[in-house]
Amino acid sequence: MTPEREQRLAEALGEYVDLQARGEDADPDAFCRQHAELEPDLRAQLTTLLEMDERLEPPPELAGDELPERLSGHKILGVIGAGGMGRVLLAWDEGLARQVAVKILHRRYRDHPLVRARFLQEARAMARLSHPHVVRIYNLGQPEETPHFVMEYVEGVPLTEAARALPMRQKMELFHKVVLAVNFLHQHQVIHRDLKPGNILVGRDLEPKLLDFGLAVQVEESGERLTRFGELMGTPQYFSPEHTRAGSEVDARSDLFCLGIVLYELLTGVLPFRGETFAEQVHNIRDEDPALPRRLQPSLPGELQNICLKALEKNPASRYASALEMARDLERYLAGEPVLAAPTTYPRLMAGRVEQHLRELEGWRSDEILSAAEFDALKKGYDRLSEREDAWILEARRLTFSQVSLYLGAWVLVVGAALVVLFQFAGLTGTAAVLTVSAATAPAAWLGIRDWKRGRLRIAVAFLLAACLLLPTALVVSMAEYGLLAGFTRGDTKLEFFARFFEFERVTNARLWWSILLSVPAYLWLRRFTGSSVFSLVLAVMTALFSLVSLLRMGLLEWLDQDPGKLYFHLMPVALAFFVTSFLLERFKRTADSRYFYPIAVLFTWVSFSGVAAFHEPYTAWLKWAVPGRAVRSSIFS
Amino acid sequence: MAAPTSTFDLLQRFRQGDSQAFTLLFEKYRRRLGVLIHYKLSEENRRRLEVDDILQETFFAAVRQLDRFEYRTPGSLLSWLSRIADHAIIDAARHESRKKRHGGEMLRFRSPSNPGGPEPADSKTPSRLYRGQEAIGELIDRLNQLPTDYRQVILLARVEGLSTAEMAERLGKTRPQVALLLHRALLRLGGRNVPG
Repeated sequence: MTPEREQRLAEALGEYVDLQARGEDADPDAFCRQHAELEPDLRAQLTTLLEMDERLEPPPELAGDELPERLSGHKILGVIGAGGMGRVLLAWDEGLARQVAVKILHRRYRDHPLVRARFLQEARAMARLSHPHVVRIYNLGQPEETPHFVMEYVEGVPLTEAARALPMRQKMELFHKVVLAVNFLHQHQVIHRDLKPGNILVGRDLEPKLLDFGLAVQVEESGERLTRFGELMGTPQYFSPEHTRAGSEVDARSDLFCLGIVLYELLTGVLPFRGETFAEQVHNIRDEDPALPRRLQPSLPGELQNICLKALEKNPASRYASALEMARDLERYLAGEPVLAAPTTYPRLMAGRVEQHLRELEGWRSDEILSAAEFDALKKGYDRLSEREDAWILEARRLTFSQVSLYLGAWVLVVGAALVVLFQFAGLTGTAAVLTVSAATAPAAWLGIRDWKRGRLRIAVAFLLAACLLLPTALVVSMAEYGLLAGFTRGDTKLEFFARFFEFERVTNARLWWSILLSVPAYLWLRRFTGSSVFSLVLAVMTALFSLVSLLRMGLLEWLDQDPGKLYFHLMPVALAFFVTSFLLERFKRTADSRYFYPIAVLFTWVSFSGVAAFHEPYTAWLKWAVPGRAVRSSIFS
Repeated sequence: MAAPTSTFDLLQRFRQGDSQAFTLLFEKYRRRLGVLIHYKLSEENRRRLEVDDILQETFFAAVRQLDRFEYRTPGSLLSWLSRIADHAIIDAARHESRKKRHGGEMLRFRSPSNPGGPEPADSKTPSRLYRGQEAIGELIDRLNQLPTDYRQVILLARVEGLSTAEMAERLGKTRPQVALLLHRALLRLGGRNVPG
C-alpha cells in the first residue's frame, strides 16, 4: 500500500466517522460505492468499525419497541410497564374476551439459564396461589415462545396514590390488607423481594392487589450480579439493608422492611430514606434512622409511628418476626388497643441528644457551676433516659437489691416447685421422669434465647433464669433414674444429705455435685451470650452451692454431729477461694462479675470465723492456754 | 436509527414523565459508558471499584441533573454522561479510601478469613465488567492488546462517538493525523498489517 493510498483511505475513514458523529445517515454500502477506487480496503475498515458498534449497541429488541404479535394465543396490544426482569404487556384474550397482562422476560436474560429457570419456577409458584389480594396467574408460555406468563390484568393506581385522599383509618385498613396478602405469600414460601407502591395496585373498589412478586431475582450463585437495573437508574428507594449488601440473605423480614417504607410513605407522604447519590442512599438505608413520622405529621397517632419504625429496624431480628405480627399490631391500632411495637429508635435518638447535654454539663462541672454531686445526679437521670428498653438487665451497677431478691425468690420458687412435683409424683419413674423434667427445661431455655434475640429482654431473663435452675435439676433426675454416679459419701448412707428425706433418697451428694458442675458451662455461656450480670449472680450462687456440696461429700454431716468446729474450719479455704476469684475477676476488669463473689466471700469468712471461734477444739484449747485468766467466752456456746 | 428511539426522542419522553424511556436510554448507553468507565479507572481503582457501581452512580446523578443537559449532537449525551462518570469515579474512590482508612466495613474478596466473599478478579481482564457478556469482554481484550495511542483514538471515535475535528482537538493533532491514526488503529484491531 502506498503512503498516498493510505492517506486517501484515512481521509475517507475520517469522513465516514464524521458522518456518523453528526448523526447523519451513514450507509456503508453507499459510502463504499462513492469511494470505489479504495475497495476492498475501505470496506474491510468499515466492517471493523461496524462490528465494534454492534458490540456496543443494545440488542435490537431492547432498542426498539418491537413486540411479538401474539403470545400464548393472545393478541398483544401494547406495553404497560417495565421492570427489572422484563416488561409487562397488555393483551387481549379472544377466547374469553377479556384483557390480560403478559409478563415477558428481558432479552438479555433469555439465554441465561439460571434466570430463565427462576422466572418460570416463580411463575409456577405464583400460579398455585389464590388470594383476593394477590394477582392471579392464568398460564405459562410454551417453551418455544419467548419466556412469558399470562396473568390477571389489574386496573388500578399505585397504593400511595390511591391512599392520598383517604382518611387515616381507611389508609390503614387498606394497608392492613396489603400486609395480610404479604403474609399469605410468606406462608406459601414466596418472598416478594420487590415491594413498592408501584407493585401494590388499588382498584376502584379500594381493594389492593400485589403484583410482580418473587421476580426481582438476584442470582448470586453464578458469581454474577444481576443488578436490578430496570428499577430505573437503580434508585434503591425501596431496598432493605439486606438488599444493599451483596451476598446477604434476603428473607421474609426483608419484605417487612419494604412494607415499613411503604407505610412511612403512606403516613408522611415522603420517603424515609433519600440521598443525593446512590452511595448516600445506600448509606442512609443501612445506617441512618429515618426522621420520626410525627415530626413530619404531628397529628399522627404514636401507635402508627411505632409500628412503622418497628418494621424499619435495621437489624432483621428486631423487626416484626412475621407479616402476621405486623398485621396483628395494625388490628390492635384499628381496634383502639395499645400496640406491641417498641422500636429501638427512640432510645438511640435520645442518646444522641443526651450526649450533647452531658458534654455541656461536664463543661459546667469543670467551671464549677455544678457540684460533682449535682452532676452525678443529672448524669444518672440522663443515663436512665438513654438506655435501651430493658437495658438495665445488662447493667451490673443497676441490679438493685429488690431485683436480686426478686430473681432469687422467683428462682427458688420455680425449682422448689419443680422438685416437689417431680419427686412427689410417685407414678413417674425411669425415662418418664427424665422426659418430664427435660420437657420443662428445654422449652424454658429455648423461649428465653428466642425472646432475647428478639429483644424482649425482661421476659427472656425470666425464662433463662428458670432454665438455669431446671438444668441441674434435670441432670440430677436423669442421673438418679439411670443409676449414674451413685457413689455414697464414704460408702455411708448416713452422710447423704437427701437420705434424710424419703422422696429424695436417690439424690446422692455425688449426683448433686456433678449436676452443678455440669451446669456451670451453661451459666458461663449464658453470661457471654446475654452479657447480663444476672447470670454472674447465678454463677456466684451456684458456685457457693457447689462448695457446700463439696463439703457434704467430704463428710459435712459427720462433722456437724461430732465436731462442728471442723466444719467451720473447712469453710475458711472456701471463703479464701471466693476472695481470690473476686480479686482475679477484678484484675481482669470484670467488675460486673466480681461484685457477686465478694459478698459470698465475706459471708463465708464471717460464718467460718465465728464458727471456728465457738467450736473448734484445738482453737478453744489454745485460747484456754494462751489466755487462762478469762474464762473462754466460747464455752458459753458449747 | 429509527426515529422513535433516537436519543433525543427518548430524552423528550423521559422528561414528559415516561419512566420506561429511561430504561431504554440506559440500555442504549450502558455498554459504551461501561467501556469508557473501565478505561477511566486507574489500575488501582479497577481493583477496588466495580464498573457496575460507577454506572449506577452515573445514571443516578444524570437523572437528577437532566434538566441541566442540553441536547446538541447525538454524541453530546454520552460526553455529558462521561463527565458525570468522572465525578462519580472520584467520589467512589474517595469514599473507598476513606472506608479503608477507617478499617473498612467489609472484606470484598474471597480470602481464608472471608470464604463467602466474591472471587478476586485480575484487574487486567475485563471479567468483572459484565461477566457473561462475551461480546464486550472480547472487545476489551482486543483493545487491551493495542498500543495506547491506537486504543485511545478508537475509544474516542467509537465509544465516545466524536468527530475527527473533536478528536484532533482532544489529542492536540491535526485532522489528517487523527484520521491516519484511526486508520492504522483499525487495521491493527481488525488483525490486518499496519504498513511501514
